[in-house]
Amino acid sequence: MTTLLDPTGELSPVTRQPLPRLEGLTGATIGLLDISKPRGDVFLDRLQSLLESRGAKVERFRKPTFAKNAPPDLRREIAERCDAVIEALAD
Amino acid sequence: MTDAAEWVPRDGLVVVVKRGCPTCNTVLPALVELREARRDLVVVTQDDPAFPEGLGAIFDEDLRGSHRLGIEVVPTLVERVAGENRRVAIGWNREEWQELSRVSDLAPDLPAARPGCGALNLEEPHASRLAELDSRPLSARAVGLGDDEDPIEACFTRGWSDGLPVVPPTAQRVRRMLTGTARPPDELVAVVPPDYASATVEKVAINAVMAGCLPEHLPVVLACVEAACTEEFNWHGLAATTYFSGPVVVVNGPIRRQLGMSWGINALGQGNRANLTIGRALQLTLRNVGGARPGEVDRATLGNPGKLSFCFAENEEGSPWEPLAQARGVAAGRSAVTLFAGEGPRGVVDQLSREPESLSRSLAMALRTVAHPKLPLGFDAMLVVTPEHGRVFREAGWTRQKLERRLLELLQIPAREMIRGAGGCAEGVPASMFEDSESSTIPKFRPGGLLLVHAGGGAGLFSAIIGGWINGEGGSQPLTREIQ
Amino acid sequence: MHDITSLEERGIPGAFVASSEFEEAAVAQGRSLGFSPLAIFVRHPIQDRTDAEMVAIADRALDRVLAALVAPAG
Repeated sequence: MTTLLDPTGELSPVTRQPLPRLEGLTGATIGLLDISKPRGDVFLDRLQSLLESRGAKVERFRKPTFAKNAPPDLRREIAERCDAVIEALAD
Repeated sequence: MTDAAEWVPRDGLVVVVKRGCPTCNTVLPALVELREARRDLVVVTQDDPAFPEGLGAIFDEDLRGSHRLGIEVVPTLVERVAGENRRVAIGWNREEWQELSRVSDLAPDLPAARPGCGALNLEEPHASRLAELDSRPLSARAVGLGDDEDPIEACFTRGWSDGLPVVPPTAQRVRRMLTGTARPPDELVAVVPPDYASATVEKVAINAVMAGCLPEHLPVVLACVEAACTEEFNWHGLAATTYFSGPVVVVNGPIRRQLGMSWGINALGQGNRANLTIGRALQLTLRNVGGARPGEVDRATLGNPGKLSFCFAENEEGSPWEPLAQARGVAAGRSAVTLFAGEGPRGVVDQLSREPESLSRSLAMALRTVAHPKLPLGFDAMLVVTPEHGRVFREAGWTRQKLERRLLELLQIPAREMIRGAGGCAEGVPASMFEDSESSTIPKFRPGGLLLVHAGGGAGLFSAIIGGWINGEGGSQPLTREIQ
Repeated sequence: MHDITSLEERGIPGAFVASSEFEEAAVAQGRSLGFSPLAIFVRHPIQDRTDAEMVAIADRALDRVLAALVAPAG
């Protein structure tokens, strides 16, 4: 494993931390990314209605295949249109 | 401290040899006789466990024992007393070996003396590896990367970069950088705002590695960080401003030549490693250690490209004047940095003035526009006079002080021009500032608010203005610091 | 996980949902990437579930999905 020395003031944790979460759901656009494995769409359909009933806007996306990463265009689209994203459902 | 190899005796006799050395082979009879007479003799071999035969030789495979004993030549005979080398005989010399071992008549058939060969522990890669064992542990937090992570990308994703790729700061690179200074790695250089985190020599070295510095650049970077974190320079304010400025560094003294810095053609431009990496290392240190990042603490409306790196050396050799640092109190011949909170450079053309008075007027007209033509006193400026312009002043015998004085005089501006609303322009100063705005004047620059520097290539009738940030209570003062 | 990692790099907070079978792989993958995104694990198996079962799984996962989207209050 490559190790680098920390150039910062070391006031924040070493491991890359996930970004801060949204402040609230109301008015936020949540992206739901289907990785195209079986039954994932049913799961996301339900999640969509649950989130919409809580005031969020939902946008749906789908990867062409679960076996590869989402294509750059798809990632860019999600990043432009959404405030947060849930990817489902890997098994 | 290197761990002593277990076999290095506290007291007794040690001889270190290697098969690859002809003299070590020649002296085999002497070794045999020595072992007969001195049962405490430890024979150490550096390269081949089977050599020499029959003497119970210890194979110093990792060469740590040889390193610990300070072996430079083989064969070397060492007398150990109380854990130290009391006496050392380098190469084969019968008299020395006899005296040291107190054994007489050693190998009478051998020549009286023979030089040895270089010891294996001094050869690479052993030498570097062994040297690393001696060095003090580094104290910066170690950040482990994912197996699939590219080290250069990892620096980007962790927010350590200034937008350009940085050199990944491995321990080996940082150790190498630290050889550039005698200051201990844990010595505190500065406490860096806005987080008020500690920048030790080691932290600065890490950022200097990332910037692409060589070890010899480090002392300059250290002086810059010290200067930037003074109250007078006010990095805290400068980091958080909406204004354009960043730290600009001017280097004076012999170090310019030692580092191959650039003060002539394209001095403010790209291409010179020392100029660019020193300026970059300063800013990487300030932002990584102090925590000022764009969009967070750094709220500059536009910023300027110099916030990547803005460092140049003064052209002292062709200068009409003494070096800037000397004018600011550093003894002649000493190396120093001057830090100035500056924006990007702006050009001033004057291809016709042959007299200093005329040229001064050109420069003053341009200087008036620093920040805004109707804003006096609040902003400092640095005027970079190039050789062709400098010649005009030199030939007329104008000292630095004389030019500065004349410029400040020429920049005594009629109050009526500066007042809000004057010239149909809302900007300016309130009329209430003046008892009688019809007859008053107001200086563009505060005393000491104009710095003159000489730099640039020999062709080009242009000079440059580097506008400053605000001075005064909440602002920044230029700061000169000698390089240790 | 790569997708969420990439989106987080672009400033979009995210999380992924996977079956419990995926948990070990997720840990290893996180080490490899140098980043562990928020993960919501649901009960295995998934493939043969009926629609009604999938709806129930989604309902049970909702609290954790909400926690992965919205910061705690106060």
